[in-house]
Amino acid sequence: MSATTTATITATPPPGRLASGFKRLRYDGALAPILAFVIFFAVYLAINPGLLTRFQLQSAANLIVPLALIALGQLLIVLTGGIDISIGAITGLCNVVFATQIAGLSTPGALILCVATGIVCGAINGSLVAYANLPAIAVTLATAFIYAALARLILDRPGGALTDGIYKVTSGELLPFVPVSLVWLTLIAVGLWMFLQRTAFGRQVYGVGSGRAAVQSAGLKPRLTILVTFMVSGAVVSFGAIMLAGSTLTGDPRSGDSYLLSSIAVVALSGAAFIGGRGSILGTILSAAVLGMVGSLLFFAGINSYWQYVISALIILAVVVIPRLIQFGIRQSALRRGPA
Amino acid sequence: MSGAPSAVNGQLEAPPVAKDQRSVFAKIASRMPRAGWGLLIFVVLFIVGGLLRPSLFTLPGLISTATFAAILAAASFGQTVAVIQGGIDLSVPSTIAFAALGFLTWNASFGPVIAFVLALGAGVVIGLANGIIVAKIGLTPIVTTIAMNGLLFGLLLLNFPLSELTVVPDFVKSFTSDRLEIFGVSVAAVLPTVLILMVVLQAVLSYTGWGRSLFLVGSREKAARLAGQPVARIRITGYALSGLLAAFTGIVIVGYFSQAETTMGNSYLLGSVAAVIVGGASMFGGRGSMTGTFVGALVLGQVATLVAVFNLGADIQNLVYGVIILAVLAAYGRDRYAA
Amino acid sequence: MKNDPLRSVAPDAALRSEPLLVASDLTKQYGAVHALDGASFTCLKGEVLALVGENGAGKSTVSRILAGATGVSSGTITFEGEPFAATSISEARRRGVACAFQELALVPDWTISENLILPDRRGRGMFSQNKARDESDRILSALDVTHLNPSTVVGDLGLADRQMVEIVRAISANPRLLILDEASSALNPIGVEWLFARIRDLTADGVGVIYVSHRLGEISEIADRGTVLRDGASVADFTRGSWSEDDLVSQMAGRTARRHFPEKPPVPKADEKLALEVKGLRAEGLSSIDLTARHGEIVGIGGLQGQGQTELLRCLYGAAPAVADLWQIDGKPARHLTPPRAVRRGVGFVPEDRKTEGLALTLSVGENLLAPWLKSLSPGGPLQLRSEGSWIDGVLNKLSVRTRGANEPVGDLSGGNQQKIVFGRWIDRDRSILLLHDPTRGIDVRAKQELYQAMLELAESGVAIVWFSTELEELVNLCHRVAVLDRGRVARVLEGSEITPDAIVGAAVGTA
Repeated sequence: MSATTTATITATPPPGRLASGFKRLRYDGALAPILAFVIFFAVYLAINPGLLTRFQLQSAANLIVPLALIALGQLLIVLTGGIDISIGAITGLCNVVFATQIAGLSTPGALILCVATGIVCGAINGSLVAYANLPAIAVTLATAFIYAALARLILDRPGGALTDGIYKVTSGELLPFVPVSLVWLTLIAVGLWMFLQRTAFGRQVYGVGSGRAAVQSAGLKPRLTILVTFMVSGAVVSFGAIMLAGSTLTGDPRSGDSYLLSSIAVVALSGAAFIGGRGSILGTILSAAVLGMVGSLLFFAGINSYWQYVISALIILAVVVIPRLIQFGIRQSALRRGPA
Repeated sequence: MSGAPSAVNGQLEAPPVAKDQRSVFAKIASRMPRAGWGLLIFVVLFIVGGLLRPSLFTLPGLISTATFAAILAAASFGQTVAVIQGGIDLSVPSTIAFAALGFLTWNASFGPVIAFVLALGAGVVIGLANGIIVAKIGLTPIVTTIAMNGLLFGLLLLNFPLSELTVVPDFVKSFTSDRLEIFGVSVAAVLPTVLILMVVLQAVLSYTGWGRSLFLVGSREKAARLAGQPVARIRITGYALSGLLAAFTGIVIVGYFSQAETTMGNSYLLGSVAAVIVGGASMFGGRGSMTGTFVGALVLGQVATLVAVFNLGADIQNLVYGVIILAVLAAYGRDRYAA
Repeated sequence: MKNDPLRSVAPDAALRSEPLLVASDLTKQYGAVHALDGASFTCLKGEVLALVGENGAGKSTVSRILAGATGVSSGTITFEGEPFAATSISEARRRGVACAFQELALVPDWTISENLILPDRRGRGMFSQNKARDESDRILSALDVTHLNPSTVVGDLGLADRQMVEIVRAISANPRLLILDEASSALNPIGVEWLFARIRDLTADGVGVIYVSHRLGEISEIADRGTVLRDGASVADFTRGSWSEDDLVSQMAGRTARRHFPEKPPVPKADEKLALEVKGLRAEGLSSIDLTARHGEIVGIGGLQGQGQTELLRCLYGAAPAVADLWQIDGKPARHLTPPRAVRRGVGFVPEDRKTEGLALTLSVGENLLAPWLKSLSPGGPLQLRSEGSWIDGVLNKLSVRTRGANEPVGDLSGGNQQKIVFGRWIDRDRSILLLHDPTRGIDVRAKQELYQAMLELAESGVAIVWFSTELEELVNLCHRVAVLDRGRVARVLEGSEITPDAIVGAAVGTA
């Protein structure tokens, strides 16, 4: 072995697990939402320390968890370089399926049916995108109409047969100060994380977004990856719909409508790249917490709650634009200094 | 830097053919604008509707559908501009509401004409902001316009307390809800207004350098840049026009429906993109037309008419919308020249 | 001139080595282009076989075929005594043939360890970041790479490190045949030493290495034997110690044109104004360039690919940022150039890739021709096509473009005709300078001739042409001067009768 190489190239010790996890988060753009989360909740607690009471924790969790789950569903699609316009409609459809079928089938039965609905919706979207080579934004626009129609056909006004028991299981308290919904979110997020980070197939989801050609030449299958990603997304969204149904005890075909724009906003705030290949689960959950609680923060601060829309938009723009401005500034000064 | 011969060269090249050897059908089919297919769908739907319910197969029936379509089309013209240049405008709902409510509020203080100018100006400013963020800062159009949509929604909630309309100024009525007699038929003014707007905009798209540069940028931004076109300027002015058109739509809706409220634009978010796609535009950019968008709105409007007349319910309407969009995508949606 | 490789090998070597890979008469066609046209070579166990050749000789095609990325049109390949025809890269790897490409096949969003471990997993099973990292650590340190952290995302690495990862990835497949396609192109001298040490370790274990390169200095150090490719065919074999750089350069360059070239326009007079003058041009990928071009002069840019030619042309057009001590167009300073400003100053540009940089494929032939000449406030579309109709017809005629008309979607044209459209934009448009990036690449012979004719006419009318070409014959036969680039600087400028294939290749590989 040549001695010259080791002599002249400094050996760096490989970092521990913590350091590499940190590096990965930074690459996936999660530092900004983590910072935003910390600052936001510092301000929130200063204005309303009552958040840390059992009731408020529970309400906050029940508000945040559905948004976080649906946003995770959107994140998966964004990782592949696409976007899902039908995500609100899928939420509504799964929501009413769960709410109505709970009367006829047992709870587990309704649950399975609901998740299966989400997966099938995702499969339809995914096959059209992966195998018919159509842009995700257009395909999901079309299926948005279709899934919304199906939701209305099943249940055309708020209703359903949800019981208090469902509320306790989805939106109650597991232990004092531990809302059940957070537990569910954690389980699902960890499962998703295992899939994306700890399986060979899951890693391909990240590769397909920006490096599709490289993925193909590495001998992997981008199309299958995209299809499965859409299906997993559908499943995650269905969980969000269940949590939504559980916390409101109502099945409503339009319950998902507002989540289209807010899921995209959450994913944008999380630092994910819309061309694909970069995005973090943790960033998405924290962003959902921030955006979900803006209204509540303003309420406790005594500010007109209409400001929440303005503030949410500004938070997103700030978190996404500022890093680019910094990059731009760095490039400009490098140019002025002249090339090396 | 390149090493291996690019895949571009790997494609089998057909020997150069000077003579056009395609069949007559293929020649005609290729010359037909993509909007032509949409028009065909509309005609088929119209005839089918007429066969099932003869009262539909009349001029007033056609006009009523066309009027409904006109409003959707107006909301979709700005979206057309955004899609042609390879982007999208998801701030249409709040721009519509902002301009509409702003108009009413400013009308009370400054009178209709100034309020009109201010409302349109607001649309331009909104569009410029979108364009600058997309073109200069490089944020994706989806995120930019969604954030803008939210921002505007908050601003209009805070600034425009009016949610109930008192009186629509005559000036606005004149091009929206007043009825005109054209060739003996009674038509709401909004229909000729939107048709004229369509013609003007289509002329700009087809016959001006700026319009054509939109297509160039949408078709292949890199090529536009390397051909020396000022891509950023083109994008920014494009989004400004989109904002202007959305603002105009807000005033049209105020005039025609005599009402305005904060969520009045929401149905136009997906509706505008749907009309644009059914009209033959490509989500990849570089293809689209105002006439196509109007035809797309006609198709969606005719579906709505049939659904209403046969009492099929909003679900069926949405179902049919989705199926039609998928059908159009299957016909046109593929990236034919994917590099 | 096909020598029997075994005859020239020393007897004791023949006793200990047996053929690992035998390739006979390989041909490969991409449409009208013959990438390979009778390439034959043999690689023995435990030896390093060099494949050398000029641009377009077919070296990269050979490595892509052996790596499993593409197939042959005809010919046979025998690997370890069995026929070899891998249909995918992973299949080739499993058979024992691995390749480190010049066009890196790494996924930029993945870390180094993911790029090393994941591809061979083919999407199955669990993936432990820690185990992958440990395994990558083992692989990296076994190959004496200690400065790379396996958790680094590949997209954050510099080109040299990425190349190292690519090489490590190939070696980690434990191949019995390793192909290195211009693997040293991005490495610094220390990296090259490292690479050679790895090669020596492998050959000691009986692994065969095919070393595709144009760097004759490296070849003399590492190769046991070699084959010269020219125009897709193998033309000579050589063994260590039995060749000189001059011989090799001659073989690579070959005799002069089999093609018929039009006559060069006369050299412009010395007092003809300078259309372009740059001194000390510096940018990313360019260390310092001095270049001049007079009106009516055809200045060729030569050198092997990736030495800064692309960057140079883009900078001269304002499409990439650059600074210079002196930069004048038509005698006036060029400041803060951008493509729109460059076009106003009389510069034209034909970019590298017509499909992704040159043309808007959904638009028509006419609109693509008019792309630089669209003015916002002037008529466009059919109106402009009509008012500029005579100019358009003129261009289509001059270049003999085969098209149904100015309204045909440009995506329907053949490659050669598409390239004519990109080029044709600048004809009769009062250009001072025309920058051409390998305009005849990948187009048929007739289209090439038509482009040469157009170029010469432009030069005769006073346009200064700066032309990066990857074909020696074009530089030799059509250029007044040739600047050969190597590693971001001008290695040598050749004038008039100095321009010979040997001289260009010599300057390009650094022996001149």
